[in-house]
Amino acid sequence: MKKAITFNDGIQRRWSFLRVMLVYLAVCGIGIFVMINSINKLMKEHDKTLTSQMCSVIAEKMNNSIEYMTTSAENMSALLSAQKHDDLAKLYEDMSDLQGDGYVSLGFVGEDGELFATDTEKEEFEKWGLMEIAYEADPVSISAPYRSGLTGEPVFTMFARMTYGSGKSCFLFLTYPLKEIQNIAYTATLADDTEIWLMNAESENIIQCAGSNKYAIGSWANAMLTFEQSMEPADKEAYEEWKESLKLNIPSEAVVYHIGDVSYTQVYSKISFMDGWFLVVRVPSSAMSSAMESFRTIVLVFVSLLLAATMILFLLTHRRDEADRAILENLSVHDPLTEVMNRRAFDMAVQNYLSRPIKPECAMLFIDIDYFKTVNDKYGHDAGDKVLVEFAALLKELFGDNGLISRYGGDEFLVFAINSDKEMVDEKMKILNERAHAIRPVTEKEDDPYHVSCSCGGAMCPDDARSFEELKSCADTALYEVKEKGRDGYGWFVM
Amino acid sequence: MKRFISAALCALMILGLTSCEQQTDEAPQVEPAPPFSVLDDVIEGRRDIYVIVKNLESSYWQVIIEGARDSSDKYGCNVYCSGSYSETDWESQSRLLDEAVAAGADAIILAPDDSVKLSDKIDEVYATGTKVVLIDTAANTENYDICFMTDNLMAGQQAAAEMIRQLYAKGHDDSEKLKVGIQVGSPSSQTISERIAGFLQYWKNNAPPNWEVIHDIKCNYGDLDKASECATELLEGYPDICGVFGTNNGSAVGFAKEVRAAGRTDVVVVGFDYSPEMAELISSEKYTASTVLQRQYDMTNRGIGTALELLDGADIENKFIDTGIVVVSRETLDDPDVKEILSHN
Repeated sequence: MKKAITFNDGIQRRWSFLRVMLVYLAVCGIGIFVMINSINKLMKEHDKTLTSQMCSVIAEKMNNSIEYMTTSAENMSALLSAQKHDDLAKLYEDMSDLQGDGYVSLGFVGEDGELFATDTEKEEFEKWGLMEIAYEADPVSISAPYRSGLTGEPVFTMFARMTYGSGKSCFLFLTYPLKEIQNIAYTATLADDTEIWLMNAESENIIQCAGSNKYAIGSWANAMLTFEQSMEPADKEAYEEWKESLKLNIPSEAVVYHIGDVSYTQVYSKISFMDGWFLVVRVPSSAMSSAMESFRTIVLVFVSLLLAATMILFLLTHRRDEADRAILENLSVHDPLTEVMNRRAFDMAVQNYLSRPIKPECAMLFIDIDYFKTVNDKYGHDAGDKVLVEFAALLKELFGDNGLISRYGGDEFLVFAINSDKEMVDEKMKILNERAHAIRPVTEKEDDPYHVSCSCGGAMCPDDARSFEELKSCADTALYEVKEKGRDGYGWFVM
Repeated sequence: MKRFISAALCALMILGLTSCEQQTDEAPQVEPAPPFSVLDDVIEGRRDIYVIVKNLESSYWQVIIEGARDSSDKYGCNVYCSGSYSETDWESQSRLLDEAVAAGADAIILAPDDSVKLSDKIDEVYATGTKVVLIDTAANTENYDICFMTDNLMAGQQAAAEMIRQLYAKGHDDSEKLKVGIQVGSPSSQTISERIAGFLQYWKNNAPPNWEVIHDIKCNYGDLDKASECATELLEGYPDICGVFGTNNGSAVGFAKEVRAAGRTDVVVVGFDYSPEMAELISSEKYTASTVLQRQYDMTNRGIGTALELLDGADIENKFIDTGIVVVSRETLDDPDVKEILSHN
C-alpha cells in the first residue's frame, strides 16, 4: 500500500522523535532515581549500623567505668567498715583532705542523718535532696548531675553503704565531676563530628559529653530544644518512635533525621548503672558515609554524562537522518529540472487532498507550452530546458502560494489550485498567458521576436468533477478546446 | 546549539536529583553594642571595673546596671558599663571584652550572651590576668574567677512547682488533660537550657501524667515582637493550653502581653523577672500569673565587691555562688523578701 504524501509529514516526524526522546529520558530518569534511592537506602543502613556499633562501644565503656567507680566506692566503704572506726567526725577530719581518684570531695552521712561535709556541700544536700539518694544506696546509689558550688561545674554524687563503731549503719559519699564520665564517653573516632549526650528518658534532659565544640561539653539542655526544634517535620514521626523505644527501656535504637541540609544518625544505648539515663550518640551522615557519598557522586556524574552523550548522539543522528531524508524526498517528489513536483508525487498529493471529507473549492489546470517541439528543434535542448525552467518558475510565482504544481510530461504541466474560486483562477490564467510571452528560448535578439505561449484548460471541483481522474480528464478536454481554437489562450471545461 | 541544550538538560537533571531544600531560621539583625560609658564619677587611683550586660534595653538588665552603679560608691571603684542590645549578640560582647582589656580593666563583670561561643574569648581575657567575674550566666570554661548567678536548674524546678500549684489553684485536677507551652529567648543560651531542664525534670516527677508539655518549644531570638508572635502561635495553635512558661524576661513579656490582649484569663502564666507587663498581670485579679525573681541586683553588687577582694589578694573557696530566687504571685507581693527585691526593679 502506498503511503500518502501529506503536508504534515515533517511535523509528525519531529513529534515522533521528541516522543522517543521523552520516553528515553523518562526511562533514564526512573533508572537514575531508583539507583540513587537504593544507594541512599544503603547509606542510611550503613550509617545506622556504624553509629549503633559506636554507641554500643561507648556505652559499654561508660558502663564499665561507672561500674569501676561504684566498685571503688564499695571497696572503700568495705575497707572503712572493716577498720571499725568509732568516731565518724574524726574519720571525716582525717579523710576530707585526701586527694582521691578523680573525685572532688568525700564525706559521710551518719546513722542519725548527721552530715559530715563542707558548708557548701551541706547546702547542696538540702537543695538537691541528696539525703534521699543516700538512703537508696543498696549497696550504691548515684545522684542526678547538679552544679557544684566548689567548682562551678556539673558533678554527681555516689553513695555507698558502710558501717562504723558497733555495727552502726552510715554512708560514704564521693562527689565526682561529670567530666569524669564525659571523658570516658569521648572517643577519638570521628572526634570532630561525633556528639555524645547523657539523656534522661523521663524529662528528656540532656548533658553533652562530647562534640566538635569543647566548650559545649557539660551543658545542660533538653532534647525538645536541641534535637526536635530544628528537625524537618517529615522526620518527626520516626523520631517520636525512637523516643518511645527509649522510654520503653528497649536497650538500643537508631533514627535518621535532617536538620537543614544535614542528615544525622542518632542512636541511644542504655547505661545500666544510671537508672533512667541513656547514652545518645549523634553523627552527621557526611562523616559516616563520605566514601559512599563520593561513590554516589561519581556514579551520578558518570550516568549523567552518559545520558548527555547519548542525547547528543541521538540528536546528531536525527539531524543527519533529517538531512538525508530531505534530499531523498526532494528527489522522489520533485522534477529535477524545474523543481516542481513530479507526476507521481502530484497524483498522490492531490488524491490525498481529494480524499478528505471536507474540502473547499479547488481547480485543476492542464497547461501546455505551445509548439514546444519547435523550440527544441530550432534552438536546441538547452534552450528548451531554459524555457521549461522559466515557465515552471512563472507557475510557482502565480500558483505556488496555495497550489500544487507538477511537470506532468515533456511540456505539460498540471496545477491544482486549492481553496480557489473560478474567478481567482481565471485571473491568474489570463496573467499566465500574458507573461508567458516574455519567456524566450535564447537571450533576446532584435531580429528574433520568437516567444513562448501557452494554452490552459481548467476544471472546477466539485462543480465539474469530484475525483482526481475525472478532474484531470475535464481539464484535458478544456485544454483540447483551447488548442482547437488556436492555442495561446485559456478556457474552462463545459459540460 | 542542540549540544548545549543536551548539556543543560543533563545539568538540570543532576541538580534536580541532588539538590535539597534548605531551611534557615536566622535571628533578626540587631544594633551593635555602644562603647563603654562610665556609671558614676571617675576618680583617679581607683580600680576600673568594666561591666558587660546582655540587653541594654531590658528592665531586668537595668537592675543589674543599677547594682553596678551603686557599687561604685559602696566599694570605691570606677565602673564602666556597656552591653549588647540582644541576648543573642555575643559577637558584640566579644568586641567589648577586647575593648575592656585594651582600656586596662582591672576586672570584668560579664553576663555572657552565649556560654559556648564566648568561652574562647573568656579564656583569652583570663590569660591576660584581668579578673573575670561572671554574672547571671555561666560559661563553659574553667577560666574565670567566680560566678554569681541563679542556679537555673533549681529555678526551672521552682517555676515548674509554681506552675503546678497555680494550675491546681485554678481548679484543674489530675484526670484533666491539659497542655503547657514554653517559649525561650535563645536556643543556645545555657541559662535558658538549664531552666528548661529543671522545669521538665520537676514536671516529669511531679505533674500528673495527663498534664503535657507541648514539644513545639517556641524561640523568639531576643526579639520582643517575635516573643508576642510566638505567644500568639501557642495560644491560638493549642486550644487546650492552660499554662505558659516564659523562660526569660522577653518570653514572659510576650506571654503577658498576648494573654492580656486575648483576654485569656484561663491561662496560667509563669515567667522570669519583673517586667511592667508581668507586674500588671500578677496584680490583676482576673489573671493568674507568677514570676521567678532573680536577685540580679546582688549579682553585680556582690560580683563587683568580690572582684575587688580578689584584686586585693583574697582567696575564695567557691567558684559558683547561687544568688537564689523568689517566686512572686499576687499572694506573695507583700512579703518582705519580695518587697526588698522589687525595690530594685
